Amino acid sequence: MSNIIFDRVARHFRRNGVDLAAVDGVSFEVRKSEFVAIVGPSGCGKTTCLRMAAGLDFPTAGSVTVGGKPVTGPGPDRSVVFQQFALFPWKTVVENIDFGLRAARLPLTERRERVGRYVDLMGLKGHESAFPHQLSGGMQQRVAIARSYVLDPDVLLMDEPFGSLDAQTRVVMQEELIKLARVSPRTVLFITHAVEEAVYLADRVVVMTRRPGRIGEIIDVAKVRMDEHWDRHERVEDVMDEASFVHLRTHIWRLLREQQSRNEQ
Amino acid sequence: MRNGWREPSRLAVGGSTLAAVVVLWYLATTFTQIIPPVYFPTPAEVLQAFRQITVQGYADGQLQQHFLHSCWLVLMGFAAAVGLGVPLGMLMGWSRRAEALINPVFLLLRPIPPLAWIPLAIVWLGLGDAAKVLVIWFAAFVPAVINSYAGVRSIEPYLIEAARSLGIRGAMLVREVLFPGALPLIFTGLRLSLQACWTTLVAAELIGAIVGLGHVLYQAGLDLFPAMIVVGMIGVAIAGGLMTTALGRLEAWSMPWHRR
Ligand SMILES: Nc1ncnc2c1ncn2[C@@H]1O[C@H](COP(=O)(O)OP(=O)(O)O)[C@@H](O)[C@H]1O
Ligand SMILES: [Mg+2]
Repeated sequence: MSNIIFDRVARHFRRNGVDLAAVDGVSFEVRKSEFVAIVGPSGCGKTTCLRMAAGLDFPTAGSVTVGGKPVTGPGPDRSVVFQQFALFPWKTVVENIDFGLRAARLPLTERRERVGRYVDLMGLKGHESAFPHQLSGGMQQRVAIARSYVLDPDVLLMDEPFGSLDAQTRVVMQEELIKLARVSPRTVLFITHAVEEAVYLADRVVVMTRRPGRIGEIIDVAKVRMDEHWDRHERVEDVMDEASFVHLRTHIWRLLREQQSRNEQ
Repeated sequence: MRNGWREPSRLAVGGSTLAAVVVLWYLATTFTQIIPPVYFPTPAEVLQAFRQITVQGYADGQLQQHFLHSCWLVLMGFAAAVGLGVPLGMLMGWSRRAEALINPVFLLLRPIPPLAWIPLAIVWLGLGDAAKVLVIWFAAFVPAVINSYAGVRSIEPYLIEAARSLGIRGAMLVREVLFPGALPLIFTGLRLSLQACWTTLVAAELIGAIVGLGHVLYQAGLDLFPAMIVVGMIGVAIAGGLMTTALGRLEAWSMPWHRR
């Protein structure tokens, strides 16, 4: 498994001839098999950070390394779950999940076995030959997550994967993701603007500030989760009811609110 | 929904509309003679002309020969245009460099109506089939290229990024991402191309041909034979309609995922 290191990363865009700093001086690490969530207001550069780890975009200054190697492009060691699901509409559920395995030229028997496992794990049985548009949003995102996990990547990069799901589906998906993370632990960089989601899922939460995106604070959730035994709860709402959870959530909320008011002044 | 009770009822409506037109035609030309037979033939005359061209032949051939010959030319020109135009358009859609290289030529050629190429084609290749195929090819080529180009451009960038991060490259990317992604617009282009093919073919055959439906129209015009003109027109309509229907079937069959 690999870690991800952001070292004094800056990314500037030119827009209408004006230089715009999307991210500036971002340094943090996602350790091996750690689940790190980035929260921050919309437009603060979360997606830009994730794209640089994915190799879909590159820093203007500083470096992003995965497993000790600088990122030079997309690679089989990292897979991405997009907010828009990004399923291929012309491929069935199974074909979508299998696509990356075929590109990696894995033997058919192994592909079958792996795809079958994730179809089971993500509750997609019975929908194997459906096309994406025939599925609900929640189901589509299950396919997208299966498509990423099935490649057995060192690193998973998820950009607001549950952002377009309704509240109930979202909660179910969060529970599923926690289960999946227990069955097959991975290094995960997870982006969200939902504070509760970040605290529920992550080992550490990185709070980013408004543009230019910088790191505000990094909160260690894993320690509290262990000390307070959140894992004894099966359901999201029970964890969210814990005083320690509420405390952390409120703390992060305050951080985000402070920035907001600072920005407005 | 599409295969339920709607389909037969639509057929029934279409059939009755057609029957009504024929009845009106009969009433106007034969029964009341509001339209004098010199301007427009009666149904009986058209039937007679149809019998003549299928049995004895007209304009150096029987209807079957004219019909098949025209269809054959359209198919050849269309296939050549699609075979070349779709890959070229997709390449332009994918590669900025290819676009920069090829687009100026297109900007120059695009405003020229395909029919304007007929004289040059005749000068180059004479009145035979080659000239017609060339003109049809040209007519179909431009819409095929432009829509394939637009098709590739219409693919959501995140889909291409998803493909890249799944490790999909080269032929697999073209065959399984770019092509199916561009396919809805490619078919739009093919429909436009096919229409342009028929327009151009008939025009080219009107100017000079040995066999073909356009040649029938030309000859019937010279002979002042309105009934045969109508037979020729119906022939063109049926040939064009058949090909358009076949293309529609192919479209539905090749994009089972595409909801309409
Ligand atoms: N390709 C681009 N060109 C110009 N500006 C961009 C580009 N991508 C992102 N930006 C800008 O960078 C900032 C951060 O964007 P993003 O990373 O998408 O934020 P977030 O994901 O946190 O909402 C925004 O102001 C956005 O407009
Ligand atoms: Mg974003």
